[in-house]
Amino acid sequence: MSWTYNDEVMDRYQNPVKNGRMDDCDIKIDEASTTCGDKVVLYIKTNGNKIEDMRWEGEGCILSVVSTDLFCENSIGKDIRSIKEIDDLAFVENFPVKISPGRINCVLLPLRAFRRGAKEK
Amino acid sequence: MISVHGRKEDFPIFNKKINGKDIIYLDSTATTQKPRQVLDAITGYYEGYNANVHRSVYKLADEATEVYEQSRSNVANFIGAKDNEIIFTRNTTESLNLLSFTIGDSLRRGDRILITSMEHHSNILPWTRLEDRGVIVDYAGFDEEGHLDIGDLESKLKRETKIVSVTHQSNVLGTINPIDEIGKIVKENGSIFIIDAAQSIPHMPFRVRDEYDFVAFSGHKMLGPMGIGVLYGKYEQLDKMPPFNRGGEMIKDVDFHSVIFEDPPIKFEAGTPNVEGAVGLSAAIDYLKVIGMEEVRRHEKHLTSITLKGMEDLKSVTYYGPRNVEDRGGVIAFNVKDKTNVKRNLEKNNVKLDRLYHSHDIATFLDERNVYVRSGHHCAEPLMRSLGLSGTARASYYVYNGEDDVKIFLKSLGELDVQR
Repeated sequence: MSWTYNDEVMDRYQNPVKNGRMDDCDIKIDEASTTCGDKVVLYIKTNGNKIEDMRWEGEGCILSVVSTDLFCENSIGKDIRSIKEIDDLAFVENFPVKISPGRINCVLLPLRAFRRGAKEK
Repeated sequence: MISVHGRKEDFPIFNKKINGKDIIYLDSTATTQKPRQVLDAITGYYEGYNANVHRSVYKLADEATEVYEQSRSNVANFIGAKDNEIIFTRNTTESLNLLSFTIGDSLRRGDRILITSMEHHSNILPWTRLEDRGVIVDYAGFDEEGHLDIGDLESKLKRETKIVSVTHQSNVLGTINPIDEIGKIVKENGSIFIIDAAQSIPHMPFRVRDEYDFVAFSGHKMLGPMGIGVLYGKYEQLDKMPPFNRGGEMIKDVDFHSVIFEDPPIKFEAGTPNVEGAVGLSAAIDYLKVIGMEEVRRHEKHLTSITLKGMEDLKSVTYYGPRNVEDRGGVIAFNVKDKTNVKRNLEKNNVKLDRLYHSHDIATFLDERNVYVRSGHHCAEPLMRSLGLSGTARASYYVYNGEDDVKIFLKSLGELDVQR
């Protein structure tokens, strides 16, 4: 498609690996961005303060969908606190492609949802 | 006359290259680019006339006051109003808020305000703030093609309807509303008629008529600088209204506990005004007058017509608003079906839906080709809800756009159309 939507991004958009509901989750976070119309639900299974599994459901732009799917996958095995402490800029820089300033909120959607909704025990 | 390439040579920003390529600016509905003549007028004001207006008695201050008041006359003349019926504000939003905080505040419980479902937030929120005091806000709807439903408007016009405020041209659908017909109906009902002309006065001939009580528009959407807007008000209305802001300039006499206000329009211009803005707007009007507003309208109709035709040839592109270019301006909201092989299904009430690209993805895709369109809800969320959408991409045209811009835009859209 183009450099923002390279193969890695488009492949994950079309074939997300962590998409789908989780009925036995410990934490469920509803996130909606009214300005974009994005709606994402994060399902989190924990063991103590450790993430055992994370999945998502919802609709959004290509960047928020891909970022959410990557976030779910990369969070497994990590502490809730260590995820909450990820710096916004570092998170965006870690995204597979360079993002224009106007689209940073799309990429930050899952991290912001997690910070708001994931409580430590 | 506007050439097929538009009038880019007058606009310094089009000398700029991004990634070595020309800018295809298709977001004039949000704000317009500025011609050299406007930039020179602003610099010329500061180099030749700058002093505070309506205050001091020395020569330079007289000159500053004169250019400020000449700018007011030029605006008045452009829309067929009298000088003392033109109030300078910051923008359309402030013009409409001025009305809300003056005539709006005089409404009582049970009074009604009628607007439409295609309004920009700036013609919704100044009115819904009055719901707290028991004022009822009604919305007239529109049909599938985006034409205002006049029957619905008439049925919602009640004895209690004190204010009717309608956009002349939708900033999303592009629909040009029949304000003369609406004005007649509104006046028969004895209501105050307000027109949000932010998207019409910059793009077509406009003369105020007896039915129009107030008309609001912005300078930056018509080649002028940001931060200068206009409220036209019929003098007899302005004269009986209380002031909006209070402070410097807008008084005849102040005592410790009493005040006599200036006459309109100065009564509504508290504090040091935006003189550079007024001068810049006046230069923008001069620029538009040289082209002629009939010519501006003709040019935009032409660009819109070839755009709609081009879009109709792209299978995955849907545009919104009237099909007939006579009924719409040069603003085209659209979406693109996502034909990629996405595994997730979209369903609503067990019906499979077409998946659309998110409008921000469309805008970023076009951005990579130096084609600049707006995306999102365009400050018209109730309108988006009526369409069942969370957003659209939107292209819009002005005097500097030409057929070459439309061609590049459609070619880029075509690339998205055939992707994967």
